[in-house]
Amino acid sequence: MSGNDPKIIGFCCNWCCYGGADTAGTARMQYPPNVRIIRVMCSGRINPSMILKAFKEGADGVFVGGCHIGDCHYDAGNYKWRRRAKFIEDLLPEFGINDGRFRFEWISASEGEKFQKTMEEFYNTVKKYGPLQRSFSK
Amino acid sequence: MEPEYLLARAKDENILEKGECGGAVSSIFQYLLDCDLVDGVLNLSHGEDIYDGIPSLIEDSKDLIETCGSLHCAPTMFGELISKYLQDMRLAVAVKPCDAMAIKELENRHQIDGDKLYKVGLNCGGTVLPITARKMIKLFYQIDPADVVKEEIDKGKFIIELTDDSHKELKIDDLEDEGYGRRVNCQRCEQKIPRNADIACGNWGTEPGWTFIEIITSKGKELVEKARENGYIEVKAPSGKAVAIRGKVESVMIKMAQKFQNKYLEENYPSLEKWDEYWNRCIKCYACRDACPLCYCRECDLEKEYYEDSGDTPPDPLTFQGVRLSHVCYSCINCGQCEDVCPMEIPVARIFHKMQKKYRDQTGFTAGISDELPPLYSPEKE
Repeated sequence: MSGNDPKIIGFCCNWCCYGGADTAGTARMQYPPNVRIIRVMCSGRINPSMILKAFKEGADGVFVGGCHIGDCHYDAGNYKWRRRAKFIEDLLPEFGINDGRFRFEWISASEGEKFQKTMEEFYNTVKKYGPLQRSFSK
Repeated sequence: MEPEYLLARAKDENILEKGECGGAVSSIFQYLLDCDLVDGVLNLSHGEDIYDGIPSLIEDSKDLIETCGSLHCAPTMFGELISKYLQDMRLAVAVKPCDAMAIKELENRHQIDGDKLYKVGLNCGGTVLPITARKMIKLFYQIDPADVVKEEIDKGKFIIELTDDSHKELKIDDLEDEGYGRRVNCQRCEQKIPRNADIACGNWGTEPGWTFIEIITSKGKELVEKARENGYIEVKAPSGKAVAIRGKVESVMIKMAQKFQNKYLEENYPSLEKWDEYWNRCIKCYACRDACPLCYCRECDLEKEYYEDSGDTPPDPLTFQGVRLSHVCYSCINCGQCEDVCPMEIPVARIFHKMQKKYRDQTGFTAGISDELPPLYSPEKE
């Protein structure tokens, strides 16, 4: 990867999206290697601070994948996440981060293809925006 | 319940004379203390001068006389005092709308037991920072601030009374055009009558020497009735005209507030570059967090090693104010304490108020007014 290639952090829930990534991998589907996956037990476990931290540490894009609505392993975790995700979309522009650099999607463990497609799309979007340059400087 | 209106004044002559608008509020507090319905009354007593108000816990009704009269240059907050230090007491509190909103949010978070509280609301057109008040009295009234013995806000004017009983008044609009007058967050505030308290008292629409009371809850209704039965206050019905005038004052003030919201949160909202300039000033003193009535966590995320910026200043705003915003902004009551205490004069309240407005527009949740926690806390599937 060259220095200008976007860095993407992907938070994937253990039961669905992480399984989806696994399915994509075992089926040898190609997707951009720029995404660094962090496995979490549930998308409902992710709070806005974690997304902010990822951007602060230099991520150019942050992706979050959870179970389809209605399929949460813990019943309602992804509903909670969805409310937070909407809030994050409102918050990021206040700090000069285009909300297109943040994306969330519902991907089940069998949807390897959807995972591949989503990663390609998101990679292209983030690539188009270029490296995240925050005007805040120390 | 349907709102009920009445006019009230003190029966006690001392309070009638010293209290604001007939001293109904002080008399109600007197009744509560005398009849042992509360352990203490939380309100403001006068400090050294009119620019100084000290939050005081009054436990003997004889001391209430020291707290009579209103202070507009003392932007204090009671919510945090109760949740941190007075949780076990039965209290009566004199609340401005923002105090009542802070208490409501803390009640929703189980930090205050609402059953132990009598919330006596005071209508509020806004407060003035003590330093601003002194400066503008010197500049625009051309008077030594120390010579002022009383101040009042009435009919859009800031009125000062001098040692020789003379008055001088200027229009608040004109003062605010020059960058003085009320605190900016008060200018933006739409909550002029504290309808989240038990009763709301004020002077709008009333006749001289009487307090206009709007009864909001059944607890408030019982309170006023019992205070009257026990001979602490006398009441009468307001004229239809009085009710109409009061309603008009309120709607005019709300319209003005919306205009100011537009001015401060849209038209003149700082650009991203400007914000960066502000954030670059931050010395990470945590005063905004400490002053915030809603921040109650004993262990703060901002001090966890993974969000803390290894002690550097300025901290990255994303993981400093960003984290704070994500914790409390949807419940921000726009009290302006964060901005008041900031030693670097960062207009913190603006970004919080803006985010709360966005959140309110999307979810219908109004901080400090809605009866439940923000939908972000909800366990529901929706």
